Amino acid sequence: LPAEPRYLSARVARNEDARLLTGRALFVDDVQLPGMLHVAFVRSEHAHGRITSVDVQKARQHAGVRAVYTAADLGDYLKPGPLLVPPPPIPDLVFHACTQLPLAKDKVRHVGEPIAMVVADSRYVAEDAIRDVLVDIEPIDAVVDLEKGLAADAPLVHEHLTSNVAAHVVQRKGDWASAKKKADVLVARRFRYDRGVSAPIENRAVAVEWNARSEELTIWDTTQAPIPIRNGLARMLGLLESQVNVIAPFVGGGFGPKIMMFYPEELLLPWAAMRLNRPLKWTEDRQENFYATTQERGQVHDAEMALTRDGRILGVHDVFLFDTGAYDPYGLTIPINSQCTLLGPYDIPDYESEFKAVFTNKTIVTPVRGAGRQHGVFVSERLLDAAARELGIDRVEIRRRNLIGPEKFPVNHEIMFQDSAPLVYDSGNYLPTLEQAVELIGYQEFLRDDQPRLRAEGKHVGIAVTCYVEGTGIGPYEGARVTIEPSGKVRCATGVGTQGQGHFTVFAQLVADALGVDVEDVRVVTGDTREFHWGTGTFASRGAVVAGSACHAAAMAVRDKVLSLAGSLLNVPEGELELSGGRVYVKDAHDRGYSLGELSGKANPLRGAVRPGTEPGLESTAYFGPDRGSTANGVHAIIVEVDPETATVEIKRYLVVHDCGTIINPMLVEGQIHGGVAQGIGNAFYEQLVYDEQGQLLNASFMDYLIPTATDVPPIETAHRETPSPYNPVGLKGVGEAGCIPTGALFAQAVEDALAGSGVEITEIPLSPNRLFELLEAAKR
Amino acid sequence: MILSGTFNFEGPRARVWEILQDPAVLAKALPGTRTLTQVGEDRYQGVMKISVGPVNAAEFAMNVELKDKVAPEKFAMVIDGKGGVGFTKGTANIQLDEQPGPVTVMTYSSDVQVGGRIAAVGQRLLESVGKMMTKQALEALNNELKVRLRST
Repeated sequence: LPAEPRYLSARVARNEDARLLTGRALFVDDVQLPGMLHVAFVRSEHAHGRITSVDVQKARQHAGVRAVYTAADLGDYLKPGPLLVPPPPIPDLVFHACTQLPLAKDKVRHVGEPIAMVVADSRYVAEDAIRDVLVDIEPIDAVVDLEKGLAADAPLVHEHLTSNVAAHVVQRKGDWASAKKKADVLVARRFRYDRGVSAPIENRAVAVEWNARSEELTIWDTTQAPIPIRNGLARMLGLLESQVNVIAPFVGGGFGPKIMMFYPEELLLPWAAMRLNRPLKWTEDRQENFYATTQERGQVHDAEMALTRDGRILGVHDVFLFDTGAYDPYGLTIPINSQCTLLGPYDIPDYESEFKAVFTNKTIVTPVRGAGRQHGVFVSERLLDAAARELGIDRVEIRRRNLIGPEKFPVNHEIMFQDSAPLVYDSGNYLPTLEQAVELIGYQEFLRDDQPRLRAEGKHVGIAVTCYVEGTGIGPYEGARVTIEPSGKVRCATGVGTQGQGHFTVFAQLVADALGVDVEDVRVVTGDTREFHWGTGTFASRGAVVAGSACHAAAMAVRDKVLSLAGSLLNVPEGELELSGGRVYVKDAHDRGYSLGELSGKANPLRGAVRPGTEPGLESTAYFGPDRGSTANGVHAIIVEVDPETATVEIKRYLVVHDCGTIINPMLVEGQIHGGVAQGIGNAFYEQLVYDEQGQLLNASFMDYLIPTATDVPPIETAHRETPSPYNPVGLKGVGEAGCIPTGALFAQAVEDALAGSGVEITEIPLSPNRLFELLEAAKR
Repeated sequence: MILSGTFNFEGPRARVWEILQDPAVLAKALPGTRTLTQVGEDRYQGVMKISVGPVNAAEFAMNVELKDKVAPEKFAMVIDGKGGVGFTKGTANIQLDEQPGPVTVMTYSSDVQVGGRIAAVGQRLLESVGKMMTKQALEALNNELKVRLRST
């Protein structure tokens, strides 16, 4: 790279915004093809029950209906979906894989599970015909509560198993029992942490075209991982991978649930399009999104922390239950994230963590932004707050005393992370992150001056500071192909899907710096298997780290080709050449050189031969696969005011100091943090999925399921620190989930501080004005 | 959803009982009832249209069975309804006590399970709609009772 890169770490405006803001970006629902038919699904109204009959005769006769399919019509295609993420190799691990059939047969296990598929001339007709499908279900008692689900007499979600335990995992570091013996103080609490839906602006959608002449299948899909979807569908449909193209165009929010799920709709539309030889489309409505798109939900933790008198953590012991929903296709990513992220930025010598995943009659749980990290952070941060109070140590001071020092990296925690590699922190500098946040929020001044003054005025104000780490940028790998075209413009194709992160800008920045071109002249293509078909997808805050590193590597390889060809044409050593302004030229004689477009023509001559060992054109493909992820860290600080009469909470200030290694674009890092914090605030005080005892979701609409609006999210102050990761050449770490990870813990600490003296201790998230009011009333008794 | 309460009919218990067993009267009185016909001993089938918040005029095919009848004192109603927007299932227990006047005090309690779309989006309003419909039905039945008492 040039010594002073032009674009790295610069606030470059987004290349993609012109298309998005003028409505020219393609989303799946924009796909309109001649002869296209539309699909709607008949879904279970019962959370748990036996299907006694599905009668589709009347629906098939409905005018405008072209086909109605049930499980019985699928033949060999009726197979449980794939286990997407097998559990890591942890000793004595128990895991029961139970994945979903594309259409329920014999039994339904959650409300919204698809039972039949209606294909019609329009969505209106398809929706009308749904009502003509007569489904008889004999209800069975539902498993809703985690603890009741483990009772000996609980109904079984999967009857071939002997209980509702989906998994049982114990991970140990050091020896908890000896830490407990040595402890001056033990702090034990029970915590409940619940989450909700991802609530994207764009719900899921699938459009499919089968071209019978070319025997090619094209699928437009709102997936975060088009390449695994293509490979899986090709296998299931008996096609070559090269006969299947999956395009994830612009996607209006991914957040995790749009990962390579092989959702029933994703499997059924291609199958039906090939049978009917007609293009098909299905776009999820908001209600379907509430019960047919995966979500995240609750965990119950019984946790204990052992400390010395001066507040040093000796060890932590945690036992928790995890709600995995009706099936567990995504393995144990979430509870293992909870287990690992609980350790946070702290030096915890002895740790024992045990969890059980429990099947329930609710929608499938898979990662949503944060992916279980929230739950773990909540446990350790709340235990530290309780310990600080018990020991009479300031909340920030107890954290300061336990942070891992910069000299200790890399830190091996000896337990297994979600990527089946040991949990190792590559690099970090935690204390300055904390000190900067404490300084910027004015922690000491607030406690010394503002809080007593405002309390005297009758205002219940509180402050909080929480720390976290975020495991990011895991493997296996991503790739990219960079091409300099004869126009001098550069094309960069990579396999990950894009859902608004700014990939068209950050990847372009890395490529532009390597080749000395303008960032606007780099056209990035993502999520189209025709363009690039090796890779995995966008998840685990890995796009910029892994795909970004691949783009960088491919661009550097093209740079080498440019230098080599220009050097031989100009007859000068490569070291004397420079790339800048879209040209390659001799350092001391700028007029001696070529524009990159001109050089790309010379690299693809109409006469002459391509010499052995060389390739035509200025193009390279490169891959990047880190051995393990890079660990980002940060500190959030907040000031709130609570009205104890109405139990409403107003956020006065919100501050994030964050370290995601080398920053490609600070504006986009801030954007990621802002969005994450907004979702974190939703998780802390607004969003909760409410199920009744029969497993009916009672608030499946934005009328009743509250997400924070612009007026609920305060301006967010940010400061950046950069501790480069040694695991990739640019030093990148991910930032996609940072904003929402410690928000619940932070909110709880601040509200508790504001209500100091009331006796309220917060051991659960989400709160709501109602719930906070109940806690205040309970504390009075 | 639990709906329970008491209601005073302005008439003797035997006449109240009579009305409660007459599908033609019930069809008129119960809000949203399109049809209600007797299909067997203590068995009725019908169609009801109900609006709950954003769910407008949802049609339900209803099966009603009367059980544990002790005339004119008490009976139970087992309800099973199915429609395009969800289902409802439940049992209502109804007790009639005559008091001077004569006034007949009806004590009712029902536990009704509601599922599907109507539960998902209408939850917040279900209970108030349920209470409102019960009140309307009982008042309509009381009016019918008064008309009958005047005409005999």
